[in-house]
Amino acid sequence: MIEFDQVSLALGSFRLNNVSLTINRGDYYFIVGPSGAGKTVILEAIAGLHRPRRGRVLLRGEEVTALPPEKRRVALVYQDYSLFPHMSVIDNVGYGLRMQGMGRADARHEVVGLLAEFGIAHLADRYPGTLSGGEQQRVALARAVAVKPDILLLDEPLSALDPVTQEKFILDLQRLHREDDLTIVQVSHARREAHLLATRMAVIIDGSLVEEGEADVVLNRPRSREVASFVGIENILDGAVVRNEDGHATVDLGGQVFEAVTDAPVGEEVTLCIRSDDIVLRVPGSTRSSAQNTMTGTITRVVENGPVAEVKVDCGVELTAVLTRRSVRDLSLAPGTPVTLSIKATAVHVIRG
Amino acid sequence: MKTETLSGDKGGLWRAERPGWHTDRCILWFCIMGAVIVGITVLALANIAITELADPAHLFEVAASSEVIGSILLTFCAGANAVLLLVIFGTPLAYVLARSRPSRFKEVVESVVDIPLILPHTVAGLLVYLLFMRRGWLGAPLAEIGLAFEDAYPGTVVAMLFVASPFFINSMREGFEKVPVHLENVARTLGAGTFTTFRTVTLPLSLRHMFNGAILAWGRAIGEFAAVIMIAYYPFIISTLIYYSFTTDGIHTSRSIAFVVIVVSFAVFYLLRRMTRYLGRYDDRV
Repeated sequence: MIEFDQVSLALGSFRLNNVSLTINRGDYYFIVGPSGAGKTVILEAIAGLHRPRRGRVLLRGEEVTALPPEKRRVALVYQDYSLFPHMSVIDNVGYGLRMQGMGRADARHEVVGLLAEFGIAHLADRYPGTLSGGEQQRVALARAVAVKPDILLLDEPLSALDPVTQEKFILDLQRLHREDDLTIVQVSHARREAHLLATRMAVIIDGSLVEEGEADVVLNRPRSREVASFVGIENILDGAVVRNEDGHATVDLGGQVFEAVTDAPVGEEVTLCIRSDDIVLRVPGSTRSSAQNTMTGTITRVVENGPVAEVKVDCGVELTAVLTRRSVRDLSLAPGTPVTLSIKATAVHVIRG
Repeated sequence: MKTETLSGDKGGLWRAERPGWHTDRCILWFCIMGAVIVGITVLALANIAITELADPAHLFEVAASSEVIGSILLTFCAGANAVLLLVIFGTPLAYVLARSRPSRFKEVVESVVDIPLILPHTVAGLLVYLLFMRRGWLGAPLAEIGLAFEDAYPGTVVAMLFVASPFFINSMREGFEKVPVHLENVARTLGAGTFTTFRTVTLPLSLRHMFNGAILAWGRAIGEFAAVIMIAYYPFIISTLIYYSFTTDGIHTSRSIAFVVIVVSFAVFYLLRRMTRYLGRYDDRV
């Protein structure tokens, strides 16, 4: 559907280096990476707004590297919505239809139905400056899908919205992806959005593609330390394999020993990635669990965050666990409390090399 | 409690959240210092107005003379023609300057655009004269097809265009720079070509700057004297007429012509501002 074949381009001092990626029809594809990594540039290159210095861009199996944006049938929604401030909502949404040669009356008729579908029919004659962020976002999305594209590009569409509006908008996006058979490419910083929406994803750092694959794999079993750090894995620890029996490895972190599943041979230096929500805490004296990693330590800090609490435990290495606040309360956990941690061997992701 | 900010539409400095006539001492000093500039202009206007209104018969005689009316019309028309040419040729240049990446070539072009701003007006007039005189690089071929510039209306227009061009182009460029590129990008992805995007998105959002640039350029054009007389002493535009009158009839008549010009210019510019005060005003939050 969308293919980048060793694409390089330069914009001022920024360079996109030799990026190759494939986005299949029907994918909900996420491009993630730190600020300034080049995510939006990739999105704009798909739309035809930047011409690569080297490499090819293919859409629907055809090379479009030199094709101007208006001929690519790709819709784009920016983070700032980019509504035309001199046009009413109905004219904004109908803009693409008019550009396709549809008459004003027909375009209005078409747009009225679309506005109703997005629940913004009452805003038809309003101007963008009078709309809230959530309303503007819906208008921008309606404008993008009005031209019935099969590829929709979204540049951090949720970042400026409040949590409640974000939830509604995520439902809209899921509906669009499901019902309109759209291939959606979304740039985002937020891991949670990727968890909820992405089927596949790519991580871009400093203008280079560092990892691409199934969203679940990239998010939970990344191939490199920098990706693990970027996708928000809380516990990233360096160690060396000291024993390996049929893929059940023992990793020494310089005092603390972890059991993990990997075929890394003995002596290989590895990085362990442990999601904070895979860690179980238990007060001393309670019954053992089946978890392969059990260690004792002392709580150094408890940070409450909404319904959960982040608990930092010093057990030779510092680990972060996420518990419900109720668990923290029931177990009377506080800084200084001695605790036992249990971590499943399968919860320990091993990065080799 | 209702709160108005400094930049608020209603109230501003003088209707802050505290009731009564209360303002910031710093702002008060700024106003006093600013009043010096406004005061000089008001004093000058009052000076000429009081003198002229003391002899209304003479003022009316001057104002009603066909020479003055014709000269004012000629000046305003030539200025408008110059601005029209600037809109046609300067707008694309301003857009290219606004959207092109910084480069040495761009800096050179920008400096060329600004040249009329830094040159003495006589030098500007000399440049125009040398280029458009009957033996000039452009004047000679154009004279052959019947378009003469020396002591002719086209000469007045071209001199006005030359000195007014930076005012229009710079204002227009600033306007284009303020239109987010994202808006153009979105329009392109929705099926609009480059020119259609310019026509339907960029230009409408820059109308205010276009208008302001046109007003500035027009004002600059109709006030030009030195550059115009170098190539077209005749027909008399208003500044040459005042100079001619001053050197032949003395201060009395030239002052009356000047007063008429002040009144007409003020009325025209004030009306234009009033008529277009809402032109191109959009919410900056978008």
